[in-house]
Parts: sequence; C-alpha cells; structure tokens
Amino acid sequence: MKKKSRIHSVMFHVGACILGFFMIYPLLWLLASSFKSNDTMFQNAYSLIPERWDVVTNYLSGMSGVGGVPFVKFFLNSVAVTVVGMAGCVFISLLAAYAFTRVRFRGSGFWFGCVMVTMMIPPQVMVVPQYIILKRLGLIDTLTALTLPWFFGGAFFIFLLVQSFRGVPKDLDEAARIDGCGTIGILFKILVPVVKPSIVTASIFAFYWIWQDFFQPLIFMSSTEKFTIPLALNMYLDPNSYNNYGGLFAMSVLSLLPVVLFFIIFQRYLVDGIAMDGIKG
Amino acid sequence: MNRRVKQVAAVMLAGAMAATMIPVQAGAEEGEKVKIKIAWWGGQSRHEYTQKLLELYQESHPNVEFEGVPSGWDGYFDKLSTQAASGSMPDIVQMDYMYISTYANNQSVADLAEYVEDGTIDVTDIDEKLMASGNIGGRLAGIPLSSSIITVGYNPQVIADAGVEKPTNDWTWADYVDMSEQISNKTGKPSAMISSGAVGDTIVFHYWVRQHGASLFNEEGTGLGYEDDQVCADYFQMWKDMIDKNAFTDPDEYAQIQTLGQEAGPVVTGDAATVFDWNNYSARVSVANDTIKLVTPPLADNSDNKGLWIKPGMYFSVAETSEVKKECAEFINWFVNSEEANDIIMAERGTPVSSAIREYMINSGKMSPQQVDMFEYVDLAAEFCGDTPAPEPSGIAEVNEAFSNAGNSVFYGQATAEEAAASFREEANLILERNNRK
Amino acid sequence: MKRKKAGRRNHYDNKTGYLLIAPWLFGFGLMWLLPMLISIYYSFTDFNLLNSPRIIGLANYTRIFTQDKTFWQALKVTFTYVLFLVPLRLAFALFVAMLLNKNHKGLGLYRTLYYVPSIIGGSIAVSVVWKQIFGNQGVVMSLLAAVGIVQKTSLLGNPKTSLAVIILMGVWQFGSSMLIFLSALKQIPYSLYESAMVDGAKPWKMFTRITLPMLTPTIFFNLILQIINGFRVFTESYVITDGGPLDSTLSYVLYLYRRAFTYFDMGYSCALAWVLVAIIAVFTVILFKTQNNWVYYETGED
Repeated sequence: MKKKSRIHSVMFHVGACILGFFMIYPLLWLLASSFKSNDTMFQNAYSLIPERWDVVTNYLSGMSGVGGVPFVKFFLNSVAVTVVGMAGCVFISLLAAYAFTRVRFRGSGFWFGCVMVTMMIPPQVMVVPQYIILKRLGLIDTLTALTLPWFFGGAFFIFLLVQSFRGVPKDLDEAARIDGCGTIGILFKILVPVVKPSIVTASIFAFYWIWQDFFQPLIFMSSTEKFTIPLALNMYLDPNSYNNYGGLFAMSVLSLLPVVLFFIIFQRYLVDGIAMDGIKG
Repeated sequence: MNRRVKQVAAVMLAGAMAATMIPVQAGAEEGEKVKIKIAWWGGQSRHEYTQKLLELYQESHPNVEFEGVPSGWDGYFDKLSTQAASGSMPDIVQMDYMYISTYANNQSVADLAEYVEDGTIDVTDIDEKLMASGNIGGRLAGIPLSSSIITVGYNPQVIADAGVEKPTNDWTWADYVDMSEQISNKTGKPSAMISSGAVGDTIVFHYWVRQHGASLFNEEGTGLGYEDDQVCADYFQMWKDMIDKNAFTDPDEYAQIQTLGQEAGPVVTGDAATVFDWNNYSARVSVANDTIKLVTPPLADNSDNKGLWIKPGMYFSVAETSEVKKECAEFINWFVNSEEANDIIMAERGTPVSSAIREYMINSGKMSPQQVDMFEYVDLAAEFCGDTPAPEPSGIAEVNEAFSNAGNSVFYGQATAEEAAASFREEANLILERNNRK
Repeated sequence: MKRKKAGRRNHYDNKTGYLLIAPWLFGFGLMWLLPMLISIYYSFTDFNLLNSPRIIGLANYTRIFTQDKTFWQALKVTFTYVLFLVPLRLAFALFVAMLLNKNHKGLGLYRTLYYVPSIIGGSIAVSVVWKQIFGNQGVVMSLLAAVGIVQKTSLLGNPKTSLAVIILMGVWQFGSSMLIFLSALKQIPYSLYESAMVDGAKPWKMFTRITLPMLTPTIFFNLILQIINGFRVFTESYVITDGGPLDSTLSYVLYLYRRAFTYFDMGYSCALAWVLVAIIAVFTVILFKTQNNWVYYETGED
C-alpha cells in the first residue's frame, strides 16, 4: 500500500513537472533573453542559456526608463492604480453580488442582465465614449481615470461572487438572522469566511487585469510621468527604428514579478478555504 | 510653530515668489507664455533625443513650454483618432503617410499654407514634389520631416560567395530574378525578400505599376489608377514563381523573420542577399552589420523607368483645434531647417528634407558611412524618379489588407494570379469609393 | 420567474438592495451604460472619429449582412474557436484542478507554474516564443518531420492549421479556469466525502455523485465566462498572427478593432459590436434557461 502510493506520488510529480515546463517556457525564455545582449538576442533565439551572460546591462538600460522618466516611477504608478482599483473592485462587487443573491428588490433581474451585457460588449468600442466622458469630467491624463473603470466593481467579479454565494445554503443566514445578525453582519461574519477562496480568486484576477491593462491607459494617458508599466514597455518598440529589446525584456521580467509574487502569497488562502462543516456544526 | 512665526514665514515666502517671477515677466514681453503639446511615436532613442530637442528649443524660446507625449508605434493612431473625436488633439502631431489624407479630408489638421506664405516656415530648401505630398485637397496638412526612396539593400558577401555579379543601377527585373535564383540554388535558402512582405503593403507594387506607365490610384483617390489587370497579375505571378523556386521568402518564412526584429533579418545575418526597403535601411541595421550596400531597384523593359519617387517619411501636422498654431509653425521650421536641431536628430527620422541640411550634415563629418550612403542615394536615385504621386487616399490601410489577401491567395495556391488581380480591383474600388466619395 | 409566494423572505427589500448595489450602479452608469448608449447611437451613423457623426439609419447593419464578406469569415473563425476552445479548456482545467486538489508536496509551486501562462498573456515574449515553436523552423515542425510528416508550410503559416495553433494557445492558458475550479473544490464540504467513504463508495462514484454536482454552479459559471470571452477573443490572434494567413485567424473582435481604428469606420464597428453582443446574448440566455435542469444550488432555489 505504502509502496503503491509512493509510485503514484513520483508519477504525479514527474507529470506535473513536465507540464510545468511547457507552461513556463516562455517565461524562462524571457528571463534568459533579458540576460542576452541586444546584438545576439535573436541569433540564437532558441537557447535558454545566453552565450555571454550579461546580467547588468539590460537591466540598467531598462531602469533608466523612457523619455526622462525612470522606470521606478512607472512601477509606482502601476502599484497605486492596481491596489486602489483592486480594493474598490472586489469590495464593491462583493456588496453587489450579495444584493443579487440574498436581497429581493425590484429590478434586480434587470440589473443583473446589465452585468451580463457589460461582459459581452467588446471593450474596443467602449473606449471612445469612455474617453469623451472622462474628458468632460476633466479626468483625462490622471491616474483616477485609470482606476475609475475598475474601482466601482466589474461584471466578471460580481458574476463570480454571485455564483459562490449561491453555493452557500441559505439556512446559514437564517440561523444568523435568528441570532440577531443584521444584513451587513451576515455578509461579513457568515458569508465572507465561507466564500474566501472566491474572494481571493477575484482579487488575484483583479490585480493581474489592472496591472496588465494596456488599451485603456493607452488611450486615456498622455504624460509620460503618469504612465503605467504596460504603456512604458510599449514605448520601447518602434518597428522602424532600432529597438532596445534587451531593456524591454529586462523590464518585462521586473513587471511580471509583482503579479507572480501576489499570486504566490495569496494562493495559500485558496488552500485554507474554510470547510463549511465548521460553521454548520 | 506659533501663529506669529507662520505669518512671517508666509510673508517671506510670498516675497521670494514675487522675486522669482520678475525675470519671467520680463521674458513674457516678447511673446505671451504658450504651452505646446507635441506627440510622436518612436523607440527609446527617439524619445530621448526628442526630449533634448524640446529643451534646447525652450532655451532660445523661453516663452514656449512643451508637453511632450512620446509613444510607441502600437496604438499611436488609435489614441490620436480618439483625441480627435473629442477635439483634444495635441498641438503638433507626428503624422504618417498612411493616415494624413484621412486627417486632412476631415479638417482635423490645420492648413499650414499661411505660415509658409508669411515665411514662418521656410520651405525654400525642400523639394517641391515632396512638399506637394503634404498638400491634400488644397490643404497643406503637414510638413514632411524626412524623405525615403525605395531601395534594394544587399549583402555583398552573400553575393560574392555565390559567385554572381553584384547588382548595379541598370539591372532589370530579369536580372533580379535570375540573380536571386542563382544565389538560392547555392545557399538552399530564399535569397530575396521585401521588408514589409511580398504583398504586405502596396509600396513595391506601386513602383511596379509606375514602371508600367500608370499610377496605383486615380487622381481623386476613388479607384485604382491602372487599367490593365495583367499588370497586377504579372506582379503576383513573378513572386509566386520565385517562391516556388525557393528564391523568395514565402509568407510563412516571412512571418518568422518579422518576429525577430530587423537587426536579425536574413540579409543582415548573411542568410539572404537582397531586400526591398527604404534608403535608410543600411544605416538602421548598421549596429548589427555595417557592410550592407544600397542599389536602385530593378528596371523594367520598355519603360521610361521613372518609377521611383521621393516619399515623405513622416510629417509634422498641427491640430486644427490648436490655439498656438503660429508658435507650432515656428518650432516646425526650426526642426526642419536649423543646424543645431539636426545635430541632435542625426537623421534618425530619415533623410532630412532640406537640401541645405543634408549638405551640412555630410560636411560635418559626423555621419556614419551608412548615413552618407543614405544621403547620396537621393542623388543616385534622382535619375529614376518621376513625379510624386498624389498622396495616398483615405482607406489605404484597408486597400493594403485587400492587396495582401489577394496576393497571398495566389501564393497559397487558392487562386490564379488573374483571379486575384481581378478580385483585388473589385475590393479596392469598393473601399476607395466608400472612403473618398464626396 | 416563478417563485412561491409563501415565506417571510419573499417580501421586497428595495432599500437594502439598492443601497448595496449603489456604488456599482454609479460606476456602471458612468463607465458602461452611458458609453453603451453612445455606441448604439454611433452604430446608426457614418462616423470615422474625425467627422461629426451623420445618422444613416440601419445602413451599417444592412452592410454587415449583405456586403461584408470579411464579416462572415471573422464569424466563422470565431465560432470555430469557441466551439473547440471552450470544452477543451474547461476539461483540461478541471482535470488539473482535481489533480492539484490532493495532498501532495509542492502543490503551491505547481499551481503557480500553471497559472503563469495566464499571467504573461499577450506579452511580446509569448508572441515571439509561440511563433518560434510553431514557425517553419520550430520544434513542432521537427517533431512532425521525425514522425514522417514533412511539410513545407508551418502550422502557423498554413491557413488550414493556423487556427488550431491559436486554439491550442487558448487551452494553454487554462490557469484562470483552473483557479476558479480549485477555489470551488475547496468549498465542497469534506463531510460529504467522509460519509460516502463510510458507505464504501468508489472514487469514480464520488466524482460523479458528489464532486460534479457540487461543481455545477462553477462549471456553469466557467462555461458562460469562457463562451463570452471566447467570442471576444482578440489578443491571441492580434499578437501571434495578426489575423493571417489569409484571414484564417481573423477573430471577430480583431476585425471590429481594425474597422474602428485602422480603417476609420467607427460607426460600422459599433454596429459590428452590437451584432456580436446579440449573438453572445442568445447563447447566454439559452444557457441560463437550461441551468435549472443541471445546475445544483445549495440555496435550494427552484
């Protein structure tokens, strides 16, 4: 019995590692390329091991930034927009999802339909009207403009949380209500602990999406010193002139770090999802 | 801090501020303080020197304050059109040949003719045909910043290794095909290519059409300018035959090459012999390979061989909504005509349009050999240059796409060259008609 | 919706409801509803972004269905994409999530590794690497040659197979779906399995009797999400093939994007967008209608 489970375990790990390699190959490639010099970058594009290790040059040239703005500035902008956007997005979506699943109010079906339509419309045609509105509000070229579309919650997050809430038995709230819990109390004391994995999932998505958002910032922002990382990375590229691929790749690596770190830190909470038995019993 | 101290501090601060403001007011007597927003696309190095340029200009024009808006190529025009839609275009915008007609026809960019007439922008050293390319429907929509001419860049080593003669300015399409096949037979790899792909855009095809005595588009831009579809079919067929003989990069190989960036292009690395590109090609790739040479593109039989033309590389346009047009015009003039500006630009945006500046640059001795080649190519190609065609009509991006699909359907064996030529005409006329009807 | 009239929770609580959705409603109205209304208006106009919109009635819509060959091509590509991607990605994501829901060492590491493709998404590194793997000198060509399939055109360069590569790339980015499955698996009460084990149930039976029914809300959610996102696929074909070769990977949204910004045809592009919304809505509504037959909610709604 023990032997069998060991074999199982080995097989599992071998399989998981092979799959894992395919999954992160592009990331390894990016990392390796960030250590290659510009002129040999693509000549041996396959190899993951640079012929000449050049750990510093690309990172230094990347860190020096673009258009007189150091890369750290872009980084800080991204952090500010992402953290504020994510916090608002998850919290406000949570409230809305709670309303859609636990409160009966007139028009809830209609508004939920609106949530769904928001998910269906291609953002590419939304950006011009959004620009015009933000312009009227005097928010163009401000970090607020980048946070605003996210801060007030998003269709995806509401839908995700609605689905989790619907998986939680209503007896739980009934019991809490009898114990004297109010509407808000039920949400935070009873439901939030149960659906914590979904909230973590939503936060991970929100973080990543806001962090890598390119199209909206591209249209909304003008001042280089207010650019977020994806915009800054785009400035390294011009198909018709000499491109600093080394700097670009080095900065790409740095820009992926926070997302990966955020995931590594918070994926633990996916594991620790509280089993409902505890509350039930 | 008690209140008394605060009050004193406030008074002192106010005094200090007043003191610093005095010189500013003195400067403002010459001209009121203006803010110019200027947008361009480019890579990292262009962003850096352009910022330097703006600072330099501010030194001699203290009343001007710039807000530079650098951008990558990706998304530059998405943003510009969105800004135009809400009436908030930057004052000066770097403009591309592909889009200038659309902006001009919709009155989004200002007519700069009055600033040329009153001498704010000095165009005496700029080629007339080149200037005319910025004139769209009677509106001077942009001042060209650089010019480009089609060229064939070649790797002399590859050609020598294959034991064939290197191309000269009097070579013909037959020579070109012949040479490419010979080299490919030796190397086993396609030896010829076009930087933008065989049918990636209509530039080389336009040259081909002009060699056949026609123009790609009619004067009004409402349809194709050549009558005989055989011209187009022959063009497709020539590439198709070369691809079949493995002498020319097929679309598949091209997609691969494109990923790697031009510094790793096959001509640079010695895998291919020739490439159609612009005359700044050898200068652009000189970081990776400094042996690349330029030659004029192949000639056609029975032709006056005036197929080449001086194509504007990019323009500066001024937004119609700008309130500081005059100041913008002054800056553009400085950018194009001043030696101090061009010392910094160093022809990075392409061959400067002013002949005086070109001469100054060559004499300055700061140019790399490839940059000198690029400048001299203008004179070399003059012999084969005809009239500059009318600016590309609105809808050109879509026409290019239709052309690309028609050509590729031949290369993939899904249509004959004749069928593809006919379907291109049908599509192109539809697109041009829709975009340019009055 | 049919609901029993009995029960004290059946009264309407409009105040609480609207208070809770108020923040979202504010953002929705400003950043989505208003722009949607504007874009509906654009869809009835001739608008190239630079002119002032001129109302032309239904002309854009009739042009879509009667004159536009590319529309049908893009629609075909997108339907094929959705048809293959959604089942493949979901099955794979569920499979891996099940594997990772065990007590092995290093699970956190694997979870991270598998989520990486979803993080690096459409970045330039991915585009370069995918083009190299599936390009004409890539690993895949060599492998195919090794098993006797020698071709001149690569899988990406061949209009017949290029879309398959794009679909494969979509499957590769299964991380998000996996994550959602994982968090749902964590929320299944362990006591259910315990009592099943006491009854001596086999693993397969536990999967079909407990796991699958308990996962149906998540499967439903993922299905809806993947269908919606599948129809809106943009980045993959934009960064890898740019719609080519021969429009074989031209997705609907890529086409619509080109119309809007490259061809200066915003009015038409908005019309295309609303046609797409209608198509997606049909699928979504059908799925919502069928959910009563197969989705199991703990809340006990009928």
